[in-house]
Amino acid sequence: MGVIRNEIRRLRFEHGEMTQQELAEKIGVTRQTVNAIELGKYSPSLEAAFRISVVFGKPLEQVFHYSAD
Amino acid sequence: MQTRKIAMSFREKTAWISMLSMLGIYGIYFWSVVQAGPHAGGFHFGGLLATVVALVIVQVAVTIVVAIFSPREASAPRDERDKLIELRAIRVAYAGLATSVALACFFGAFTPPIVFNTNALLFILVTAEIMRSACQVIQYRRGA
Repeated sequence: MGVIRNEIRRLRFEHGEMTQQELAEKIGVTRQTVNAIELGKYSPSLEAAFRISVVFGKPLEQVFHYSAD
Repeated sequence: MQTRKIAMSFREKTAWISMLSMLGIYGIYFWSVVQAGPHAGGFHFGGLLATVVALVIVQVAVTIVVAIFSPREASAPRDERDKLIELRAIRVAYAGLATSVALACFFGAFTPPIVFNTNALLFILVTAEIMRSACQVIQYRRGA
């Protein structure tokens, strides 16, 4: 089973210390869901992943990383 | 993977309310059924009606109180994670329901009193509902 990691926490701080709540509102999910994504406990849908990358103005592969191990 | 604790969302709180209220209120009902015995006569319709009314009142009242303290979350629609958690919980509850009904059909052939059978089926239905809420709570606690 592969592992999906992400840079959301770092990107939030690089974008004016954006809070989880602010990001959640921008992508239309709850703060708890953003928290679960950040911690790697929940893999977002492709649409939510794209929304997150749009918020940070980064391509998807700079926000999420997949490793097959 | 980090292990930071996730705060309880409104949806998780409603799952807790559902699970605990059903455990408590239906627990009292089924305890009275067991105390009365399988041949007590009648379906305890009055008791069941009181149980359902009490359940609705408790769930609505507690949910309103919780919503007052987090109005923004309460008015927000379920997101994709909430829906996924609910679907997983329904899958588990359905498996439990289907298995229990199959067993009840089998063992029902050996327990003639219809009163006992009706309460047994109600017990299965309530158990499946509690399983659904419990699965939601577990997934929310894990972060799912």
